[in-house]
Amino acid sequence: MWAYVIRKLVYNIPVYLGIILLTMAALRVRDPVAGYLGKNATQSQIDRLTEDMGLDDPFIVQYGRFLWQIVRFDFSEESWAQPGRSVRSILIDSIPPSMSITLPQVAASAMIAMVIALISAYFRGRLVDRVLVFLAVLGMSISYLVYIVFGQFFGAFLPQHLDLKVQPFAIQGYLPWLTEPRNWLTYCLLPVMIGVIVALGFDTRFYRAVMVEESSRDYIVTATAKGASKPKIMFVHMLKNAMIPIITRIMATLPFLITGSILLEVYFNIPGMGRQLITALVANDFPVIQAFVSVLALLFILSIILTDVLYALVDPRVRLS
Amino acid sequence: MTNRPDTRSRGLQPPEQEVGRGGGFQPRDGRPKAVLEVRRLTTRFRTDDGVVTAVDDVSFDVLAGETLGIVGESGCGKTVTSKSIMRLLPEHIASYGEHSEVRFDGVNILRADSRQMRRIRGDKIAMIFQEPMTSLNPVFTVGWQIDEALRYHTNLSRRERRERTIEMLRLVEIPNPERRIGQYPHQLSGGMRQRVMIAMALCCEPDVLIADEPTTALDVTIQAQILDLMSSLKEKLGTAIMLITHNLGVVAQVCDRVLVMYAGRVIEQGCVREIFHAPQHPYTQALLESIPKHGARRSRTHKLPTIRGIVPSLRHLPAGCRFNDRCTYCQQRCIDEEPELIERGLPRPVRCHFPLNQALASADHAKGER
Amino acid sequence: MIGRFLGSRGWRRFRRGRLAMASLAVIGVYFVAAVAVTLGAVSREDTKMRVGPNRLPGFLERINAEKRYDFNKWYVGELSGVFGRAQRAGDEAAAREMLGAFALAERRMSGAAPSELFPVYETMEKAWGELDDALAMREDLADERFVLRAEAAEQRASGADASATEARLREVEERLSEIRPRVEELYREVERAIEVLLPMPEGLRGLVYRLRIGLGTDSKGASISSQAVYSVKIAFQVGFVTALLAVLIGTILGASAAFFGGWVDHVVLWVVSTLSSIPYLVLMAVFVYVFQAPSLAKWFDNPDRPGLGLVPLYAAFGLTFWIGTCRVIRGEVMKIKELEYVQAATALGFGRFSILLRHIIPNTAHIMFINFSLLFIGAIKSEVILTFLGLGVKGQPSWGIMISHGADGVTNFFFWEVGAATVFMFVLVLAFNIVSDALQDAFDPKHV
Ligand SMILES: Nc1ncnc2c1ncn2[C@@H]1O[C@H](COP(=O)(O)OP(=O)(O)OP(=O)(O)O)[C@@H](O)[C@H]1O
Ligand code: SF4
Ligand SMILES: [Mg+2]
Repeated sequence: MWAYVIRKLVYNIPVYLGIILLTMAALRVRDPVAGYLGKNATQSQIDRLTEDMGLDDPFIVQYGRFLWQIVRFDFSEESWAQPGRSVRSILIDSIPPSMSITLPQVAASAMIAMVIALISAYFRGRLVDRVLVFLAVLGMSISYLVYIVFGQFFGAFLPQHLDLKVQPFAIQGYLPWLTEPRNWLTYCLLPVMIGVIVALGFDTRFYRAVMVEESSRDYIVTATAKGASKPKIMFVHMLKNAMIPIITRIMATLPFLITGSILLEVYFNIPGMGRQLITALVANDFPVIQAFVSVLALLFILSIILTDVLYALVDPRVRLS
Repeated sequence: MTNRPDTRSRGLQPPEQEVGRGGGFQPRDGRPKAVLEVRRLTTRFRTDDGVVTAVDDVSFDVLAGETLGIVGESGCGKTVTSKSIMRLLPEHIASYGEHSEVRFDGVNILRADSRQMRRIRGDKIAMIFQEPMTSLNPVFTVGWQIDEALRYHTNLSRRERRERTIEMLRLVEIPNPERRIGQYPHQLSGGMRQRVMIAMALCCEPDVLIADEPTTALDVTIQAQILDLMSSLKEKLGTAIMLITHNLGVVAQVCDRVLVMYAGRVIEQGCVREIFHAPQHPYTQALLESIPKHGARRSRTHKLPTIRGIVPSLRHLPAGCRFNDRCTYCQQRCIDEEPELIERGLPRPVRCHFPLNQALASADHAKGER
Repeated sequence: MIGRFLGSRGWRRFRRGRLAMASLAVIGVYFVAAVAVTLGAVSREDTKMRVGPNRLPGFLERINAEKRYDFNKWYVGELSGVFGRAQRAGDEAAAREMLGAFALAERRMSGAAPSELFPVYETMEKAWGELDDALAMREDLADERFVLRAEAAEQRASGADASATEARLREVEERLSEIRPRVEELYREVERAIEVLLPMPEGLRGLVYRLRIGLGTDSKGASISSQAVYSVKIAFQVGFVTALLAVLIGTILGASAAFFGGWVDHVVLWVVSTLSSIPYLVLMAVFVYVFQAPSLAKWFDNPDRPGLGLVPLYAAFGLTFWIGTCRVIRGEVMKIKELEYVQAATALGFGRFSILLRHIIPNTAHIMFINFSLLFIGAIKSEVILTFLGLGVKGQPSWGIMISHGADGVTNFFFWEVGAATVFMFVLVLAFNIVSDALQDAFDPKHV
């Protein structure tokens, strides 16, 4: 098992090196310093910033230096757009808010989608199934942004406007969960719910497809021939097999949710990784962009490896080989 | 089968090897009891390109304790027939004819509710499938999967079930069963998995065992072992077996009676001895001719090499006799009208306007009667 | 290749699906709209031009009293501005010219002589002044009634004599009930005057104008329907160009990787796994960021060449989206490569490129079409997201811009802008979703 994990890690090293290479190269295509300082900057200002960042060194030197920074997790340079803050502190501060809306989102959407998919697969071909599938397609056809706009309106704005007794959701903002857990909840709940609803359409279809595929397998016929009841077949035989692709999918969406929540973070003003990245992109905050992309990619790769490991845990065919 | 019948003469040499030896079936008091009666079974599939009738008006009995063989080329509807008997076809695409009946123990299986079905499946009628590689659930241990059948159909305690499972595995000659029950299907070889399937099917001592090409996916030597195993278990447990196969050699070895199917229909049925001795349907004859010499290895892709032409698609069946485009004896009448499956004074029911070997068959039959 | 695709079994199966064919027709309608916009049916000026007051609701929405006041006030204000200038202009001809310059799209100032229009304008002004007074008075009376009622109730409760208060209350209520029809009358007078000064155009122009305000106006008084229709063109540009780009890159790289194997395969696989290890939204955002570099701005951000404004978006989407297609095509070509006729062609000594082009790539047509339609959807949806984040379309209307702009409207209970963009986009995306599902079903029945 450990050998398996290590093999996966080693296999992904060149991929990660490639990401860093591409990121750094892409970000240097446009002159970051000139972009940040604008047209009115003097040559000496440009030169100073360039030198500060070591952007005048040969690319290969910069590459090596940045890799070494990643290895030590040492992003101590100052952010350009937020003077006085190191990239590292921005990064570390933005992780908890992102996680507080990402993790519940993954868990809840996976659960709900799985239940709906099971219902759909159970009534396969019948009216219930067809209605659910069609609803999923409808849901998938609406823009994420529209869900957010109307979600905020109906979830938070309208109750406040009508002065309802229960106002479970805040309109926007974020407070750390450690110090203010109750407020944290009101801030995070609505974005999480919206994210779940958005994810539901695609997830349900995917899980249903997996389950329908599993339910046409030979071992299902064997179980039926043994006299197993339909719920037994669905929940015992099929579900355990379907968990394999489903886990893969859940894990694969994790890093996407980090960014899928970019939109939620920006709209609800939650200071997470996505919002920081977009702020940095808009403000040409080069050190932050570079560090964030590299870290996001690292998280992504780690989650892929984790997926493979989990996969092995569920599937005896992988585990025991 | 060592002997390859002469193709040109319309008479057949009786095979040297004795056929039908595997049967524990001895009709003692005239007519043995039928455990399973299939009447006018018609199975249709709804597909993207319209409805296809995969099994068309098939009737037969499975008698207590006998081994009934069903033979026919790939795609002729053998699997569909057997799955229809257990209602294992996907309900949302398969439907049965309105006069179709599968009677077991006074119940019409095709109309039974799900509780009745659960009681019959696995307990009264069990099934073994063609593909041992995919028929077992990959994420449960084999012990768990055999145990499952016992859980549904017996009141044994956990300990007793475990003992029974081990006993069954021992019965199907799996070495070291105590260790094997903790293993997953992918850790077993194909032959081993098929043995597990057999153990699973027989653990509740069913009245009928349907074996759908249980050996096709296996190595020749393993095939023989599995067949021997099935025959001996049948003797021990008194189960009737419905054996589906391409392999007439297998039929000769283990079956008492045989049903020949072509394009969804029964075209001839009778005792193995009689059919091998004097086939009445040109298709049966062609099938017999295509049996390879003893020992020649047959691959799955190379099933029946000597019948010219191909099996007609169910969507484009020829008018008249369904076999007419491949039949050497085809005449105008065969194209004009489809033959019925009637005896017409023949010893055995045949679906052909111009049956072969009539004299021989009658004599044979008379011998059998005596 | 398209011919072969249209002759295939899968396509015939696809054509039997009624829903899928209907969706295809819907896409056709959108396509026609996009072409019409390109040919000038709706110009960029049309989408910016003021056609009425701000946030005018679309058809069928009842205008409540508060909005009625606001809208009339807007009209009165605009008209007073024009007429004021016209009056100052002095002579008749100059005044006429002043008046003629005012237009809300097809809705123009009446062509009558200024001498005829000035009296109407004056009655309008007068009526509006009275209306303002009447409304103010009504408000005062209503306030007084409120106070009186409370007082009366208090007096009754304390057992004191309430008759004086009640008498006053009755008087106030009487005056209120007198004022109500008066207000209504004044409203109508103002509206009649506006209608005379700014008559609804007749015939075709009238129809066009009604279409323009049919879905309301945005926060700057520009037509929402024009913007929504113009955005169809943008959506097709973004969707079509990026999907085509991505499918082409994906097919060429995927097919070459699978067909030539060796180092080609290694390189392609490395690029694919590298790029797919960056979350796609981040990848896209970074690409847009790179392509919007100041050094490139003189090409892409140039008002002289508006057509090039979307190039950074095309490039970013195309470079992000090809990855999935490449994977699928590579897998498929691996399979096709092993087929007998390809093997035979190889054995017969056909050139490798000709085998690739003649025998292999055409057989992946269905995958290309399915991917094309999926990527089309992906591009349209991503455009909205990136635009909202400030990295997408700029300077011309798009559904993304409409939704982003309309979002504050929603908190003011004005749903028309977001709603129109949503519905327009929803129908197109839904149609594409149905078509790609049906294509998938038809060509790959096993894939559920
Ligand atoms: N699920 C299904 N949907 C549509 N048609 C089917 C389905 N299952 C079987 N058929 C059709 O029914 C016919 C009979 O199939 P069946 O599997 O019974 O053949 P078979 O005799 O068992 O062949 P083999 O020897 O290859 O196992 C085939 O022509 C097949 O096309
Ligand atoms: S009916 Fe005619 S075609 Fe059919 S099997 Fe008999 S002889 Fe051949
Ligand atoms: Mg079969």
